[in-house]
Amino acid sequence: MNIDHIDVIQALIDGILYGSTYALLGLGFTLIFGAMHKLNIAYAASSIAGAYVGLASISVMAIPPILVFFIGPLSAGAIGLVIYFACFRYMPTGNQLAPLMASIGALFFVDEIIIHETSGSPLSFPALLPDSYFFLGQFGIRGDLVMVMFFSFVLMGIVMFLLYRTKLGLATRATSQQSVAALLCGIPTHRTNATTFVLAGILGGFAGCLIAAAVGVLSPLITLPLTIKGLIVTVIGGLGSIRGAIIAGFLIGSFENIFLLVRGVNERDIYVFLLLFVFLVFRPNGLFGTAIDRD
Amino acid sequence: MLRLSNLSKYFGGVRAVDALELNVKTGEIFGLIGPNGSGKSTTVNLVCGIFGPTSGSIELDGVDLKRQAPHQRIDAGVSRTFQNIRLFDDLTVWQNLWVAWRDAPGQEHSWFSNWFGRSLSRRHEIQKLLEFSGLGDKSNNLAGNLAFGEQRRLELARAMASKPKLILLDEPAAGMSSAEVTDLRQRILTMKEMGITVLLIEHVMELVMNVSDRIGVLNFGTLIAEGLPEEIQNNPLVQKAYFGSSENTSGGDTNAIDQ
Repeated sequence: MNIDHIDVIQALIDGILYGSTYALLGLGFTLIFGAMHKLNIAYAASSIAGAYVGLASISVMAIPPILVFFIGPLSAGAIGLVIYFACFRYMPTGNQLAPLMASIGALFFVDEIIIHETSGSPLSFPALLPDSYFFLGQFGIRGDLVMVMFFSFVLMGIVMFLLYRTKLGLATRATSQQSVAALLCGIPTHRTNATTFVLAGILGGFAGCLIAAAVGVLSPLITLPLTIKGLIVTVIGGLGSIRGAIIAGFLIGSFENIFLLVRGVNERDIYVFLLLFVFLVFRPNGLFGTAIDRD
Repeated sequence: MLRLSNLSKYFGGVRAVDALELNVKTGEIFGLIGPNGSGKSTTVNLVCGIFGPTSGSIELDGVDLKRQAPHQRIDAGVSRTFQNIRLFDDLTVWQNLWVAWRDAPGQEHSWFSNWFGRSLSRRHEIQKLLEFSGLGDKSNNLAGNLAFGEQRRLELARAMASKPKLILLDEPAAGMSSAEVTDLRQRILTMKEMGITVLLIEHVMELVMNVSDRIGVLNFGTLIAEGLPEEIQNNPLVQKAYFGSSENTSGGDTNAIDQ
């Protein structure tokens, strides 16, 4: 196969556009990790489940397809809240393993429900901008992916504003840094954590819808790879680092498309997963990771 | 104001606080001293709700605190600082105060304005707190980057941001130089002038003896003495608790008790 620089740049463009959805997922993982210092493995599955609920509502209620982008995220937020109560809220705080195992269980639980309800077959998903392909010089750009990236940036902007400019966000960050002191400053830490799960869920629901819109179909087969990629983004960005998660999302999107170009679709994910081990060995704290401590 | 009746906390077989009776009056500075492990910190943790008591009651102005969650006790008017500083290191000085902020009763903003609004509408008041803490020119510094003494002052100011009626100071002078202790004493007196009741837990006798209106002495989780600073200094029971004998250590030698 003959690959020239135009192919590489084209792959990078597509990768960065699509990578914005990974950035969203990584941001969601990171928000939850930041709040609880625990990983929610069921996060990507609940995001996809939200997209499914959105899809089911538009077909059952016969409402405009665009509403899937409202119902999907809201449903994913609700599912996130359920997962918080089922897997995190009442687990002993000192036990790291219990919520991890519970959320792995929730991942398969949600996945099985989707497979059961859809008989495992993929469903087509409304596109954001159908048939909008244009050229920028020698490079072809998919208009719908530009929309995906645009909405991802808007969402990231909203999350950053909430986290850094409002008292709600400051309370979330205070809870993550010093949960006891936050509680004794009058911050209801359990409620703050629940809010974080809902917020992250909404974010994930958007990511799920955007991914499905970019691919064109929604399939239960994507939950597991998305879970792994979300985790990889979180680890490469540095556990708990928000800007790290966003940058790593774009990085993974780009690498994925380069691997796709060089090695084909069957081998692509092997190299993406390999990237995780490279980082774990050579840069275990990720790009922007800080030493994690909390009493 | 603060009334602890028959308050007990057992950790397994250890009686950290044992049938404690304590009464702090409105507007006073009450010093609570005692040897290490005598139950001082446990008492503070019981009042602010980190632990639930094994038995007994905690009342603030007649309101039973026992059934309230820790964050609700802030609204009841209890606030505290920590023995080992617990600031929000990645937030700025201003944000540390803003996140702990409570509007004064009767001047509350709406729910939306509280959680999503900017701190600008309270700028004037937060500025006053900054001046109280002497950190006026550092409001945009990250709390984690402040010097030790500044962090202690910020913790004091943060504890006041919730408009407390009662402040619990858990060893605020730990690790401070003599000049810093003098400065701290002035700030505690300012709190008193503002009408805040102070429960001060401290090992540094120079501070406790000079600032407290009354002092209580804990040993093995119970109050063994209570009274004016000079009465406590000359109390043989207190000397026995600290030194293991009732030998007179020439009255005002406060530095000896310090260790």
